Amino acid sequence: MEQKELIEHIEKNFKYKKEIKVIDGKQFTITVEKDKVLNLLSFLKLIDFKQLALITAVDWIDEKKFEIVYILFSYSHIQQILVKTFVDRDNPQVETVKNLWDVASMYERDVHEFFGIDFIGNDDLRPLILHNWKDLPPLRKDFDSLKYSNKMFGKFKKDEEI
Amino acid sequence: MTEILTFLGKEDQYEKYELFFGPNHPGMHGNFSYILTVEGHTIKKVDPDPGLLHRGFEKLAERRKWMQNIALIPRICVPEPDINEVIYSISVEKLMEIEVPLRAQYIRTIILEMARIGAFLFGFGGIGGATGLYTASYWTIADRDYLLDLFEWLTGARVYHMFIVPGGVRRDLPSGWIEKLSETVDYLQKRLYEYDRLIYNNPLIVKRLKGIGKLTKEEAIEYGITGPNLRATGVKYDTRKMVPYAAYDRIDFQIPVQSDGDGLARAIQRREEFQLSLEIIRKAIKDLPDGQVRAKMPNPLKFNVPKGEIYVKVESARGEHAYFIVSNGKDKPYRMAVRGGSYTAGLVLAQKILVGMRIEDVALWMSTMDICPPDFDR
Repeated sequence: MEQKELIEHIEKNFKYKKEIKVIDGKQFTITVEKDKVLNLLSFLKLIDFKQLALITAVDWIDEKKFEIVYILFSYSHIQQILVKTFVDRDNPQVETVKNLWDVASMYERDVHEFFGIDFIGNDDLRPLILHNWKDLPPLRKDFDSLKYSNKMFGKFKKDEEI
Repeated sequence: MTEILTFLGKEDQYEKYELFFGPNHPGMHGNFSYILTVEGHTIKKVDPDPGLLHRGFEKLAERRKWMQNIALIPRICVPEPDINEVIYSISVEKLMEIEVPLRAQYIRTIILEMARIGAFLFGFGGIGGATGLYTASYWTIADRDYLLDLFEWLTGARVYHMFIVPGGVRRDLPSGWIEKLSETVDYLQKRLYEYDRLIYNNPLIVKRLKGIGKLTKEEAIEYGITGPNLRATGVKYDTRKMVPYAAYDRIDFQIPVQSDGDGLARAIQRREEFQLSLEIIRKAIKDLPDGQVRAKMPNPLKFNVPKGEIYVKVESARGEHAYFIVSNGKDKPYRMAVRGGSYTAGLVLAQKILVGMRIEDVALWMSTMDICPPDFDR
């Protein structure tokens, strides 16, 4: 299906509240409420969006929200869909999608480690990359990497101080 | 002698033990490890353990200006750094709505294909290393050096070039460079036939690769496998053709596919794509237009990128390499997420497909899938 037909199809058949925005000829975003993400993703998987390319998050610290982005691709429509949802920054929780895609489990583990977002139903959220990490999740905007490195490894000396 | 042979009977229980495959293992491709639970020679459970290569690129990029990041991002991927520069540049150009001159697009295509050939040569060498055919690794690494010489002449750097920038490429091709590139392409073509005789027609290699990590089309798509590994299962999809970038929409080429989806099919697919890359370079040299190589850009240290978000992907030697970039209208990227080409293969598929394999096949599976640890540890 072409992008226009595809958007019409989604508008017609996915009844819940959503917002569709076109980025360019090959990709568009759909924003939904966080409890409808699973519905939307399983609906999209049925219309041949079979590849889950990435799950990631964006920290909107001023709005006190995390944005979770699921990037899907279809090999038959040649279209990229960015499914987005917002969760509260103080209590970041969203349902897991690991029952739809096996790969989701690892992406969720990654996002959990770097943003501290909980994926309800995913029981394998062990630390993946960071070793003995006790600070804030590092990709949050309130984590300052310069301050951390000064605290951890001593202050960086300027030339004249050495 | 017969006593020893009959010593292990059918009913014997093998010991179960844990084997740390990597980071210091001759079959491992970099700082990464699998914790294998092994019974006898057979793998029962796989637990990937990344993190030894983590450098925090996604966080570092948020603290640097749009142009400063060009020096940072090639370092994400060692064997094929140019894809990072091109994805980043395309993202910035799309968000700022900048038109890139045609000559720059062609130069980008040539550079990307050269980098791709370099990565494939590394891959051929990896297969040689995992099977004990060290001649292959010596030959391929030496041939890759001819490409690095060309890069050095063009950009001043051998591995991390920082040559592709938002708006085009840094400078025009030096005189005599194209002729030298044509010579190198002809040389590599000649060498490819020698690789055929050494690797792909070698009965030992064929026997060893056959049946390793067999994947079907559906499994490959389900597990997010992309690039040559996906085409080896029979899916005729190439990002260069279907969602073209640089000058690929102006260059005519056929996508090679295999059908078996096992280690041998993946190796042969890479050999075919090596040939394809040589052809694309030849066509790009033939059609190379004259003109500007860089669009007019604002002051590199002062420009802001308009609000927006974009997911840009390119075809790397390992599959779909992509960035998801968010800008909030300031002079630094708000968020830059990296999708490595072999992330899902190395971390998720490995947990399923390595079970039941023998220990000696792990390194070979990693070579044929082109698992690259920097893809998980950005």
